[in-house]
Amino acid sequence: MSTSNGNVRSGSSTLVWDLPTRVFHWVLVVSFAIAWLTSENDRFMYAHVYGGYVLFCLLMFRLVWGVYGSRHARFHSFAHDWSSVTEYLKALLNGQAERYIGHNPAGGWAIFLMLLLCVLASISGLIVLGGEEGHGPFKHLIAYDIGENAKEIHEFLANAMIAMVGLHLAGVVVESVIHKENLIWAMLSGRKTVEKEEPSVRAFHIIGAVLLITVLGTAGYYFRGYVVESDAVPFKPYRNVKLADNTTWRKECGECHLAFHPSLLPARSWELMMKQQSDHFGDALELDPETTNEITQFLVENSADKGTSEPAHKINARIKPDETPLRVTETRYWKRKHSAEFVDEVYWKSEKVKSKANCGACHLDANTGWFEDSDMRLPKLSTKSEETPR
Amino acid sequence: MNVTRKMFLGLTIFAAAAAVQANVVDDVLKGYEAQGAKNFSAANGEKMWMTDHPDPDDASKVRNCSTCHGKDLRAKGKHVKSGKEIDPLAPSANKERLTDPKFIEKWFTRNCKWVLNRECTPQEKGDFLSYLRSK
Ligand code: HEC
Ligand code: HEC
Ligand code: HEC
Repeated sequence: MSTSNGNVRSGSSTLVWDLPTRVFHWVLVVSFAIAWLTSENDRFMYAHVYGGYVLFCLLMFRLVWGVYGSRHARFHSFAHDWSSVTEYLKALLNGQAERYIGHNPAGGWAIFLMLLLCVLASISGLIVLGGEEGHGPFKHLIAYDIGENAKEIHEFLANAMIAMVGLHLAGVVVESVIHKENLIWAMLSGRKTVEKEEPSVRAFHIIGAVLLITVLGTAGYYFRGYVVESDAVPFKPYRNVKLADNTTWRKECGECHLAFHPSLLPARSWELMMKQQSDHFGDALELDPETTNEITQFLVENSADKGTSEPAHKINARIKPDETPLRVTETRYWKRKHSAEFVDEVYWKSEKVKSKANCGACHLDANTGWFEDSDMRLPKLSTKSEETPR
Repeated sequence: MNVTRKMFLGLTIFAAAAAVQANVVDDVLKGYEAQGAKNFSAANGEKMWMTDHPDPDDASKVRNCSTCHGKDLRAKGKHVKSGKEIDPLAPSANKERLTDPKFIEKWFTRNCKWVLNRECTPQEKGDFLSYLRSK
């Protein structure tokens, strides 16, 4: 660990940000960006969760570093009192804000707020992950509804964070202009030019390097499955949760198409479908009464209204009480998740997909009924001829 | 010694499977004869297999048995509506084919209704079956 005992010439360059603080800053930027950019599409959930985990672990590190880190990294060094904040802001409006070597009073509080938002966002994210998706440290501890409600809070916090990032960037630009210094470069190199005597802070190279290597190493470990996967054995990051199963149903209802899991439609839909066997989407089922009873019972007992999975909850919640959809592909939730926003038109025309009901063409775990976010893979449409129907 | 025993065992199982299949198809055909059908013709079965019928949902399209099972019975087919793969229908490529009378009957009912828009007669079913078993 190198300790510089300070160069003291005026107008010279001095180390302001130790290495761990800089690594923290830029890894935070990257992990927040990953989480933000992957948040709209469920199929990137695995990466989104990674961004969240890194964020959370970094924040835990930063809390410690705020106490034991070098001078300008310590919390008390930028927890300025309120009067200096107002003074600073007033001066800023006149275009003559005082220069601070570390964080200025307004910037310091912005950083506290951002740290707080990130901590709350990652904790609420873990609650969503446990409740809605059934993964992560809270997977058996949190009810689905709590997870779903936490999602709104989680999104609000993320949006608030984006607003703060905007303010922070504006502050960086304004301060850089006023004081004619490049603050972005300062956060990369750690150095600033000072007129007054100002000893360099301790660099903590080893701790910074360990931090960076840990982040890169865990990233490699976390995503290794995507590197070694093949078309035959695709990477499925989460072990599938086992939903109810029945051999008669799987056999009889899986002959013409995927055996659609009971959790994808409400009980009244299944009852109606099993009554209308002579015209099942233009096909005749004609199952004998015994088989019909067994299958109907299985379907009704494990239907969407029982809420055993995320799709079950979401599909059911968006069906009006007076509706009895016979197709999963005509439920509101399904249509929304497969609109042009998420699935390009070419896939529905492709020979590999053929029908909207061919769930298995894009969902690796379609036959389990679970529909894990990270088990979604749009098929490769390699040749032109594959894209046009026969 | 071990190898010959294994080969013997394998052959017995294979022969048994073939025998089961022959018995099942023979029994089913006898059942059709009891309903008045006779002189089953694989050639006629093949002809019917390829005969187009109008698609009630779409006037620009036609339906026949190869719509889902494909033209080559030894290859996999694909359900025309759902896109699901269907294992080969030819018993020579798929030992499980034509081994369960109830299964055969169920699918004749479904597929005839879908393709011909009516149930098949015992004569037609016997012809289809004679064609399929020859593959
Ligand atoms: C004889 C063939 C056949 C069998 C057997 C069969 N289905 Fe179907 N099913 C179809 C066809 C054809 C469609 C329409 C597929 C399409 O449009 O892509 C369909 C569609 C469906 C759909 C709607 C899919 C969507 O678009 O969301 C459901 C649900 C369904 N079937 C349930 C069942 C159940 C339950 C059973 C067992 C009792 C069963 N099916 C057995 C032929 C069959
Ligand atoms: C052409 C490919 C394709 C087909 C076919 C397809 N899906 Fe999807 N599905 C997707 C994509 C892509 C998404 C992800 C949307 C997103 O990124 O949020 C998705 C999302 C979903 C989700 C939401 C997952 C979640 O937890 O948020 C469910 C449930 C789902 N699909 C069920 C089905 C069912 C049931 C079928 C068959 C009836 C089906 N899908 C057919 C591509 C497909
Ligand atoms: C709409 C698609 C479709 C069409 C068209 C179709 N079939 Fe089938 N057929 C199937 C499916 C699916 C199975 C079940 C295959 C399985 O379980 O692997 C099947 C099974 C069969 C079986 C049972 C084979 C066995 O394993 O014992 C026979 C026989 C059969 N079909 C004959 C016909 C005949 C004859 C026609 C034309 C009249 C026809 N099929 C047209 C979809 C179709």
